[in-house]
Amino acid sequence: MSYIADGFRQAIELILTANPETVSAMWTTIRVSSLSIAASLAIGVPVGFVLGHTRFPGRKAIRTLVETLLALPTVVIGLLVYILLSRRGPAGELGLLFTLPGIAIGQTILGVPIIAALTATAVESLDRRLAPTLLTLGARKKHLLLTSLWEARFAVLIAGITAYGRIVSEVGISMMVGGNIKWHTRTLTTTIALETGKGEFAMGIALGMVLIAMALAVNISLAVLKRRTAR
Amino acid sequence: MSRPYLYEILNLSHYYGSHCALHIERLVLEEGTIVGLTGPNGSGKSTLLKILGFIEKPSEGILRFKGEPAELKDESLRSSVTMLFQDPYLLRRSVFENVAFGLRVRDDVNELAARVHRALQWVGLSPERFARRAWHELSGGEAQRVALAARLVIRPKVLLLDEPTASVDAASASMINDASLMARNEWGATLVISTHDSFWLHALADETLALYDGRLVGSGAKNFILGPWKPAEQGLWEKTLSEGRRLLALPAPYPDAVAVLDASDIRISPTPPDASRGDTVLHGSVTQMIIENGSGRLLVKLASRECSFTSRITQEQATKIGLHPGQSVWIALNAGAFQWF
Repeated sequence: MSYIADGFRQAIELILTANPETVSAMWTTIRVSSLSIAASLAIGVPVGFVLGHTRFPGRKAIRTLVETLLALPTVVIGLLVYILLSRRGPAGELGLLFTLPGIAIGQTILGVPIIAALTATAVESLDRRLAPTLLTLGARKKHLLLTSLWEARFAVLIAGITAYGRIVSEVGISMMVGGNIKWHTRTLTTTIALETGKGEFAMGIALGMVLIAMALAVNISLAVLKRRTAR
Repeated sequence: MSRPYLYEILNLSHYYGSHCALHIERLVLEEGTIVGLTGPNGSGKSTLLKILGFIEKPSEGILRFKGEPAELKDESLRSSVTMLFQDPYLLRRSVFENVAFGLRVRDDVNELAARVHRALQWVGLSPERFARRAWHELSGGEAQRVALAARLVIRPKVLLLDEPTASVDAASASMINDASLMARNEWGATLVISTHDSFWLHALADETLALYDGRLVGSGAKNFILGPWKPAEQGLWEKTLSEGRRLLALPAPYPDAVAVLDASDIRISPTPPDASRGDTVLHGSVTQMIIENGSGRLLVKLASRECSFTSRITQEQATKIGLHPGQSVWIALNAGAFQWF
């Protein structure tokens, strides 16, 4: 059993001495997840707003589709993006396979449905007195859209944080599309998978602790925001 | 050429689904007046106010504003007309930003802070204490006053108030009334105020319109008497009151019909009056007295056990019988005066 304790001891050492491989995986994770969440927000928030705010034929069908995509397994996304980006695939010429932007495309496909679905729900559940209040205060169409989104800002942030939690902890897309290339596309989650396979628990535990710390930070900010929106 | 009416409504109907919430054949409102809307809950007051505030488009009929047909698409219509709701919604931001919102959307931000502070003072809120508070740090009465300040700051030409004091404390209610009146006195705003407790409104309003079931049932102080009614002797109908008492009326169209009785049709006397056929005589007392705006007559609120009535009498009559609040009186109403809806 001592190998578990040894693993923890070595893991703390790896973190405290800023082991280059650990730092590289952390840095890669931060870079790719930032790119993914930015793209997910840029696409998901407007889509969610339109789905929640407007009424048009086919809206319900699109909402059902978005909600179905919430349950899309990351390995399936990884597979689809791999096919898309592989040399023979329709976007093969872009040369994005085994690159960070390639992973970000997959993670964006993972993040957009979460943000769109939660934003749509947030906008739908805005107080029904909001629109008449804005109108009677003299708001015009453009104000109506922006102010409604601003009124739902905490819920939209919660959507972003929820999506970020999913993105930073996924392994299927990063492994398949990124290829787990050391110093290049190796993220926290793919390193843990690899090191565990090799029987090298110390690195796995160290990165696991970093990941748990990030998840904790995300959860605490979620809890704080939820308290604010409850008022 | 004479000045056009501020509002003119012709054959206007408004439906929620298949339910007709409002039908008005003709109504005109003049600029600079105070108009009261009275009637029980569900009588169409809020719907009418939302239509006057260009928040809802009437299902059919004509609505003219300053002589021009009002098109809801014309966003400029709402620049001078604003409405305060019974249960106000404050934006998820500070009190200052709530009040400043109307000025910001108009790009009218000269001396913004000074104007916002002045509006807060109009409604009796100290800018130093309240301007920086968040929306959730206010009591119900304070929230309603912030909502009113947000409307007054834009100096609206028309201020529509939907039961503005129904759910606030007495102190807030009096400040809301004072601030609304100030809008009329300072810049000639037209006020349309709805309330189901109409008594105080008669002292204030130039004209009071009574609504029932989406229809205008007359102007001035009215008594609404709800059923159930049942046939009684001599072709009359009656409503049973407590302790064996009853109200007599001409035949009602159906048992749950609502009777409307003008305040002038309710007579008061200090001694039991001679009752003729169809008269109902009840014993009660005077609870409140006000001078009706415009007519100069007295409106007297009367209570007789579970019933309350509003009677209109001349000041001479009141002096003759030495009428005063708390006084015990006899209340007489004749079956022939009932109108049915």
